[in-house]
Amino acid sequence: MTNSQYFSLVDTIARMSLKAEAQRYYLGYVWWILEPLLWVGVFYVVFYKLLGTRTPDFLMFLAVGKLMFIWFSKTVNYASNSLMSHAGLIGRMDLPKSLFPLAVILECCYRQVAVFFLLSVLLIYQHYLPTMLWLWLLPLMLVQALIIIVCGCVASMLVAFKRDFGLLINLGMVFMMFVSGIFWDIRDITNTEAADALLTWNPVAFLLHSYRQVLLWQEVPDGMHLLNLGAVAVIGVVIVLRFMQRYSAHLARLVVSA
Amino acid sequence: MSFGMPAASGDSHQVLDNLDLKINQGERVGLVGRNGAGKSTLLRIIAGIYPPMAGTVWRHPEKTIALLSLGLGFQGDLSGRDNAFLAAMLQGMTKKEARSHLEAIGEFTELGDYYDQPVKTYSSGMRSRLGFATALLLETDILLIDEILAVGDNAFRKKARQALAQKLDADKTVVLVHHAEQAIREVCTRALWLESGRVRMDGAVEEVLASYNKAD
Repeated sequence: MTNSQYFSLVDTIARMSLKAEAQRYYLGYVWWILEPLLWVGVFYVVFYKLLGTRTPDFLMFLAVGKLMFIWFSKTVNYASNSLMSHAGLIGRMDLPKSLFPLAVILECCYRQVAVFFLLSVLLIYQHYLPTMLWLWLLPLMLVQALIIIVCGCVASMLVAFKRDFGLLINLGMVFMMFVSGIFWDIRDITNTEAADALLTWNPVAFLLHSYRQVLLWQEVPDGMHLLNLGAVAVIGVVIVLRFMQRYSAHLARLVVSA
Repeated sequence: MSFGMPAASGDSHQVLDNLDLKINQGERVGLVGRNGAGKSTLLRIIAGIYPPMAGTVWRHPEKTIALLSLGLGFQGDLSGRDNAFLAAMLQGMTKKEARSHLEAIGEFTELGDYYDQPVKTYSSGMRSRLGFATALLLETDILLIDEILAVGDNAFRKKARQALAQKLDADKTVVLVHHAEQAIREVCTRALWLESGRVRMDGAVEEVLASYNKAD
């Protein structure tokens, strides 16, 4: 299979899957935007109305954090099942196994375009107007996409290895939600060492913080750290894709016999 | 070669047991045996979908191979046409090539207006007709066929066998798994009887089928 065939196949599977999902629900494509919006609404009610958080402009703070986090958590969750849900196909055809998680990841990227559009509308409506700083979004999103590819592919292999990992991955996403500063501000941590450690070692927390710097606070994100993160992510992508290629037949056996 | 499947208990369940087998170019081999004898696993190993746990498989490096089997590949929420498009692309066609086959597939399956309806609304016969038509797209040197001739009603089965026969010229190597012995008689020149992962008998079609039926 040539590269162009491979990518065209990833794209076709992704689009078909979007189409299938839209046909499954009465509201179809509307859910792309509605579901993330409802998430933000639920969090807003709980943390602002009930718990009375004092983070300034909490609604937009939450919207940026949650909407960009959903991209990560949903994709990794979906991708984790991607090999198992194609067991029939994998048992019949010797296809590159990375095809399945990558198709899911691309599918979620298409969805995220709509979500990001929604976020932009919200921001502009709340008078956070686009500036040159918004250009930072490109490298930020690129690095996030690379991290998603690594996590999604690894998750799909873990679930193929033992189904039990599916439960752990779900739990892991909830854990990430709590430690990535979605409904609380990392700058509020009084122990600066702890705050720095969180931004250094939790790439999701770093990315969400950087999105807020760019979109809400008119600050320049830490470019050096982003560059390092990007380099590690690129290496990770290469390793994980090579691994999937090398152990393609073993993965097939795991998936078919599960 | 041998092949085991991990069982839920953590043990391994032996599917193929020290199997030693040679299939020459142009041979058409019919595989018979009870459910669980290892027929589908053997096809998958020959197709290179997964390796044997022990032993090796050698296949002519320049010969292309396809494993044809039905079902499981369809997305119920998509139309037959979309599924056919996806199946064609999965078999290595470009978007353009895949599109050019869609009308022919639709005609062959006799689905009519249903071709543009979601596959989840199909009867099992309609599904298998679509499965057959999409499986038979490829031109390969070696064809491994897993039960795909057992589709639809008698008229469609006849049509399916004719379509397959057209694909088979003297150079093609075929391994056919089929419950209906008539199909094996029509297509194959050699038969293999698998039992508990071993070859119980290997020889001319009539002889093997006669012994197999006697043992049943």
